[in-house]
Amino acid sequence: MFVQEAIQEQVATEAGEKFNAGKVIMEHVSNSAIDHPLLHLPKVLGIDFSVTKHVLMLWLVAAFVFTIVTWTVRRHLKQERAIPSGFMNALEAVVEFVRDSIVLPNVGRKWVNTWTPLILTFFLFILCANAIGLIPIFEVLAVLDHFVLHTAEDSFVKHLMHGGTTATANFNVTAALAMITFGAIIVAGSKAHGFVTHFKNLVPGGVSKFVYPILIPIEVLGMFVRPFALTMRLAANMTGGHIAILAILSFVFLSAEIFKSSVTGVGVGLVVSVPMASLVSGLEVIVVLVQAYVFTLLTAVFIGMAIHAHH
Amino acid sequence: MQFLHYFGAAMALGLIVIGAGLGISKLAVAAAEGIARQPAAADKITGAVNLPLFLLEGVAIIAEVFALVIVLMK
Repeated sequence: MFVQEAIQEQVATEAGEKFNAGKVIMEHVSNSAIDHPLLHLPKVLGIDFSVTKHVLMLWLVAAFVFTIVTWTVRRHLKQERAIPSGFMNALEAVVEFVRDSIVLPNVGRKWVNTWTPLILTFFLFILCANAIGLIPIFEVLAVLDHFVLHTAEDSFVKHLMHGGTTATANFNVTAALAMITFGAIIVAGSKAHGFVTHFKNLVPGGVSKFVYPILIPIEVLGMFVRPFALTMRLAANMTGGHIAILAILSFVFLSAEIFKSSVTGVGVGLVVSVPMASLVSGLEVIVVLVQAYVFTLLTAVFIGMAIHAHH
Repeated sequence: MQFLHYFGAAMALGLIVIGAGLGISKLAVAAAEGIARQPAAADKITGAVNLPLFLLEGVAIIAEVFALVIVLMK
């Protein structure tokens, strides 16, 4: 009982500001604010190149994918026999899966070797960026800092905290990825049919002339809607899961505040929040895999549509 | 009248869930029936069902983003 009273006293002293679930959740899923980034970099052409948390995560993911893949493949090429060993097995399975069940059915046998590298890069990068977002690196760092390190108020470690780490949950990141898809569709169509013919292929031939004024705007709109849908799908899926987990976990603090006892909060946490959050985390693992697959599959489908245009 | 946009966003969410649920359930029913009749074609059926499923999911997600925009922008 004594411990409980002590905790309650501490809660009462700290409760000068009330627990605001919406603010905490938004702080955790959004990028760090541009006015205090992790690293200050000068402005080039009016664009602020300062490194925020999602930029840092992008670099980490890119470096991770690059090192792991090149190291594994180099090691495989160095050995005498052609049979893969260790992690190379897994990598080869992924490459074969992407080539045979994503690219080949959509793009066709003629262009499969042209477009597999791009789509494979998409798959590995998105998968790693999504999956690293599930590992609470910065939250663990915050706990470590609070109990062990005790760094200063404006140190680098303090800037790292308070935030989500899924780079693909940022709409700007996925918009950049979708713009690569947008370019790849045009390049694929141009390579297969020529630049002008690609845009002519957008509109199906053999229809009445009076349909064209309606058809052309719809097709041009469709050209831009497809990357937009890719952007929104990936980012919203990655943000949604994190918001769900954080909202479930914030029941602990909300109930502790409503019933004015921290024991109730811990009880709610043990009975309701932690099991539910674990289930949602399990769902998130599936979502991570499925979204990487969806993005690459749709890219392959769009590229295939540009190559096998009906005219 | 001040909180009417919350009402709109909540309605939108409900309608999105109804629409997406109906669409996905139709796809799932058709796929399950097809596989039950011809288990050998399970891979092809799954492949054919996947793409419309993801496009449908994309429509639902975009609608949810717009519902979020209603709340945030007021």
